[in-house]
Amino acid sequence: MDKSMQVIAVYLLSHIGLIFFMYPTDIIESLSVGHWCAILLGFACHVAVIAIYTKGLSYFKSQSIIDIFAGAGKALAWILLLPVSLYFLMMLILTVRAYAEIVTIIFLDSTPLWAVMALFLAVAGLISFMGVEAMFRTGLLAAILFFPLLLFVLSVSFQNADWHYLYPIMDKRSASFSFVLERPYLLSFFAFAGGFLFLGFIPPYVPYKRRAVLWTTPVLLPFFFVSVYVPLLTFGRNTAVQFQFPFIMAVDTADISWLMFDRVTMFFMITVICFALLFISLVMWKTTLMIRRVLPFVRPDLASLLLAAVVFVICLQIPNWKMVERLFWWNTYLRLYVVAVIPLTTLVLGIRRRRKGAAGI
Amino acid sequence: MEFLQAKQKQDPDLFLHRMWIAGQPVMLAGYFSLIDLPQTMMLLQQQARHAADSERPLSALASGLGERIDRADEQAVFTAISDGCLLVVPEAECFEGYLRIVPVSRTLSRSIEAPTTESVLRGSASSFNEDLDTNLGMLKKHMLSDLLRTRSYRMGKDQNRKLTLIYMEKHTDSSLLKAVCRKIEAHLDKEIPDLIALSEDVFEFPKWSLVTRFNTTELPHNASAALGQGKVVLLLDRYPFAIILPSMITDVFSSVNDRNYPLLLANAVRLLRIIGVLANMLMPGLYVALVSVNPDVLRIELAMSIAGSREGVPYPSLVETLLLLFVLELTLEASIRLPKSIGPTITMVGGIILGQAVVQARLVSNVLIIILAATTIASFTAVGFHNAITIRVPKYLLLLLSAIFGVLGLFVGILIVSAYLASVKSFGVPYASRWKNKRSPNG
Repeated sequence: MDKSMQVIAVYLLSHIGLIFFMYPTDIIESLSVGHWCAILLGFACHVAVIAIYTKGLSYFKSQSIIDIFAGAGKALAWILLLPVSLYFLMMLILTVRAYAEIVTIIFLDSTPLWAVMALFLAVAGLISFMGVEAMFRTGLLAAILFFPLLLFVLSVSFQNADWHYLYPIMDKRSASFSFVLERPYLLSFFAFAGGFLFLGFIPPYVPYKRRAVLWTTPVLLPFFFVSVYVPLLTFGRNTAVQFQFPFIMAVDTADISWLMFDRVTMFFMITVICFALLFISLVMWKTTLMIRRVLPFVRPDLASLLLAAVVFVICLQIPNWKMVERLFWWNTYLRLYVVAVIPLTTLVLGIRRRRKGAAGI
Repeated sequence: MEFLQAKQKQDPDLFLHRMWIAGQPVMLAGYFSLIDLPQTMMLLQQQARHAADSERPLSALASGLGERIDRADEQAVFTAISDGCLLVVPEAECFEGYLRIVPVSRTLSRSIEAPTTESVLRGSASSFNEDLDTNLGMLKKHMLSDLLRTRSYRMGKDQNRKLTLIYMEKHTDSSLLKAVCRKIEAHLDKEIPDLIALSEDVFEFPKWSLVTRFNTTELPHNASAALGQGKVVLLLDRYPFAIILPSMITDVFSSVNDRNYPLLLANAVRLLRIIGVLANMLMPGLYVALVSVNPDVLRIELAMSIAGSREGVPYPSLVETLLLLFVLELTLEASIRLPKSIGPTITMVGGIILGQAVVQARLVSNVLIIILAATTIASFTAVGFHNAITIRVPKYLLLLLSAIFGVLGLFVGILIVSAYLASVKSFGVPYASRWKNKRSPNG
């Protein structure tokens, strides 16, 4: 049965969950003019990577990426997938820690950090334990419930926009793409590269149409633009660059006189955090899948529990936001590896398999 | 013969009545409580007279009267008697075996009435009663189709309970049908005194489940609509509801009766129900979150007025909410138990007197009274009583989470509830999915 709808929902949600906090900060920091260049470049990479990845996957009929790599040789699978699992682990730790910090900074200032992290891990662990099919249905339900709220807040966020800040459209720096190899821009790939790998893990469980996912990618583009341009248009670049979370600040300035709530930002942030939770549970599921591949005797519930416990303990060891940022930077190397190597290898393996198949016939 | 007499000594309800049919002595056996004896005897005499007119012997007559049971098969004899059949025992040696005859039975079921738990405004309003055959007949009346198929089972070892499975050929998904049949046939020896037994022992659904895995309905109209959609319907003897398998999340929000309204209205009503269910789950949690954890979210005027109304309330908003919710749940539960004549009194005492007094005594804030009243009303917008009580539970989880984590806890709670609903599956059909009609009559 085709479940493209659910896959699309999870794809959108997990990316939206990642976009709105750190991404605008990095992009605004990396350029002073012509941010759209940076966004479009990143997005083009994103679409290309997904296209290559799904194309590679399409050569294998409903096989997960673990099976594909394992089919090409055990050593290769180890070499390729070990960094991926490390990346997932880092991703889990970073997302949980960072989002917990954001929550305590923005609206739960008296709640201890560990309690928020425990909540995140417990919920994500629970959802990942319920299985991947349930997770994807949850994604669809969450999309139906939360999306209207999200869209409402997004449309409201333009309230204080001053469109003059759009200009100048471009300068030499943005036109020459000299920002590409700089640290803030590389960090911004967090939002593009975090969530696409799941497309390779689900085919045996949740079949989907490649074309449907590819056609959905443009839907994400407005979100990237809104996340960067709303703070830019509201404050101007020079002010926006000072904030830790510029988009949140920009939404905070919106005032709707007919609503009973004063801070609509809170609802926005929480929906985004719920999406991020879904993303965390997805990563947890992928990680437990890999763990259980190596250690098949571990029960699935035990694997989830252990993973959550490990992540929790490591998260507790991270003392402050500086450390989080440093870890983010370290993780960038792994991320670039994941973005570049995994999709290309999949494609190469796919083409090789097709040739073999053709030769066999 | 002897064993029947022995049985009669234990059970005085069993009668052994001697009479003559077509010039031959016979013994009638059956239960007084189930058989209208004079009427049945009259019927037997009449039939015998017809037979005698055409000059046929009793043995030939026998084959026209009823089904033959072997003399040795004691178990079959008792089953026939306890089913309410009349047993004719010819005393002449020439005829071997007994005859099992369907007698004129006493009326032991209600007549067909209007439904008591599902009210219908614009649609057929007759409801099922306790008699399985009546129910089946009503269903067939609603579903004039040669595609209708039934399978009959007898469940249980010590108590025999009839279970009839009904489905529509070509409409019902064969894998669903097979799964249901396999479960029933594997557990034919299980007693089913109640629906929990049916759900746990026969269908092996998990014990601790929040959602009911099957829908129940009192209305033949609903059951026939479900059949038309390709679902499977079970009828249990002495149970005035049809059991519809599998149940879906959409059943909470849409009823068959909606289709008697213009589409726009029907959809508006469904949306209203969704909002009602959401409101029921969210409002208590939202109140606690906004009052005790995130008061800054509210507009300042509103925050002040709520804080003002809570002035003098000596405990945190979680305790306040739990207290009042507890009273409301008690009222609901009590109003089910109470006879109809006292019900309105309790509503009055609970609603007006308690509500008014509790605010004046500064035990809870009056904003909370408004919120909880709305919550309780909203919970019954869900279609079907079993769904209405199901959605009463998750709000406590949401309440607890919001008391700890504020609005974040509330939303995470919604996510947990969604994930739970998404994880429920019955017979391979996910609860949180749209029911795919295999062959819809209207396209």
